Amino acid sequence: MAIIQTENLSYVYSEGTPFRKTAIDNINISIEEGEFVGIIGHTGSGKSTLVQHLNGLLKPTSGRVLFNGQDINSSKEFTRTVRFSVGLCFQYPEYQLFESTVYRDIAFGPKNMGLSEKEIEEHVLKAADFVGLKKEMLNKSPFDLSGGEKRRVAIAGVIAMEPKVLILDEPTAGLDPQGRDTISDMIDNYRISTGSTVIVVSHSMEDVAKNASKVLVMNRGKVEFFTGVKEVFSNYERLVEIGLNVPQITGIFIDLKSRGYDVRTDIYTVAEAKKELVRLFRERGALK
Amino acid sequence: MIKDITIGQFFPGNSIIHRLDPRMKLVLTFIYIIAIFLCKNFLAMGTMLLFLILTVLLSKISLKLIAKSIKPVFIIVLITSVLQIVYNNKGITLLELGRLHITTGGIFTAVFTTVRIVALVVASSLLTYTTSPTLLTDAIERLFSPLKIVKINVHSIAMMMTIALRFIPTLIDEVDKIMSAQKSRGADLESGNIIQRGKALVPVFVPLFINSFSRAYELAFAMECRCYKGGEGRTRLKEMKLAARDYIALFAILACCGVIILSNRLITAPEQYSNILDSFLRFVL
Repeated sequence: MAIIQTENLSYVYSEGTPFRKTAIDNINISIEEGEFVGIIGHTGSGKSTLVQHLNGLLKPTSGRVLFNGQDINSSKEFTRTVRFSVGLCFQYPEYQLFESTVYRDIAFGPKNMGLSEKEIEEHVLKAADFVGLKKEMLNKSPFDLSGGEKRRVAIAGVIAMEPKVLILDEPTAGLDPQGRDTISDMIDNYRISTGSTVIVVSHSMEDVAKNASKVLVMNRGKVEFFTGVKEVFSNYERLVEIGLNVPQITGIFIDLKSRGYDVRTDIYTVAEAKKELVRLFRERGALK
Repeated sequence: MIKDITIGQFFPGNSIIHRLDPRMKLVLTFIYIIAIFLCKNFLAMGTMLLFLILTVLLSKISLKLIAKSIKPVFIIVLITSVLQIVYNNKGITLLELGRLHITTGGIFTAVFTTVRIVALVVASSLLTYTTSPTLLTDAIERLFSPLKIVKINVHSIAMMMTIALRFIPTLIDEVDKIMSAQKSRGADLESGNIIQRGKALVPVFVPLFINSFSRAYELAFAMECRCYKGGEGRTRLKEMKLAARDYIALFAILACCGVIILSNRLITAPEQYSNILDSFLRFVL
């Protein structure tokens, strides 16, 4: 059974005023346990609105969201329990830090779950380890850290609840390349070692191509594609039409192909690209 | 939830009311509100109401929004009218229930206060509905610029107001976002008693204040980078100029005031109506 499923999910902002706007329109998706789903889409395509429905922050205008087959808005208590199982980490999460120490900030989620002091400590240490925070950092004030470190503390604050589904909205936005790599590796590690489902909203086609097993493409509040990475990126023209792109490296191979070179166009990472180019050079006798 | 507040909101449009000079709109609203409290008879009140209805229609603001603006004062209106009806014992008694006397005078005053409060709220919301906050503060700055003589820095005050108004929606958005983020970590903001709820808001307000301070610094830097150094010698992109429609509006309001003053002199006030009604009833009976 799917861990998260939506049925005819729609949401309208500012219903009944001149600012009325349909953010998402009739979304039907189902996500299995252990999957890594990348959500991509143009700004304003409804990505963030969609993920805020998955842990019950927004109530659907119509339709339902199911967690393990149960409607997450069926009761207030259930919505609150679902929030511990579906951890949502917002865009720029470092702006929500508030406690006096890093430790206490990460402990906020587990504390709300009603765990004992000992369990809280276990959860916090584990989460800090996942995001690569050193032990001595836990007693610092979160406001003394660098931007990248703050981001990791904030993500640890969500991971500390040990959610079955971890949703991250643009986790790498505004970070330097190294920070981006660290965070995206960290997220993949979390999925592999805990078997959790991970959903990442991203602008970066590269990030999505690298980690995701499935890609959800949103366009104007509707689902454009929801399939495997290869199937999605093979629709190059359609993606460009809706203001998106394929990973840069894929673009190069599509271009090579159109210039008459016999190369594959389903290349998404630099490693694959290297292999394919070496093969091409060998065939042409440029390499031995 | 927080986004449903309409007070002070601006609804862009291109009606004649939108295009009126903001200075004139501000002054007219002010005169209108004073005039409403000078009305002492039905003719005057009727004129003022008619004027308001006409303005609302001209502004092309939906009646739903106008109704929304009255909603917050509904309870105040209700309480004052009930108090007036219960405690005002002028005029003839229409109904007697034990110690409770419902009199014509009470009902007249209740109706008048209701109309006054509603008209006041509608008129001032109409001002903010049809004038963008920037234009409004700009108008305030110009209207009060003579205060420079007494060494009051009108420009700085107006600039502070503009910035404050500008950041209200930003802050509302931010509160919404932080609340969602903390709710995602299981924060319970909706249940418990007042003390528990107050405590639950700490995770919302700490980040809000920290972000606001850093934003204030950034804004100050950005303004300095653009060589902002106060109002001295600053020119404007858009000069305000009074057009024919502004003078017509002024004339209309002054005409209404004329009606009020004349009718107040010529027609008796409602309290006196009841006296006449009273003696009439006595005569008939």
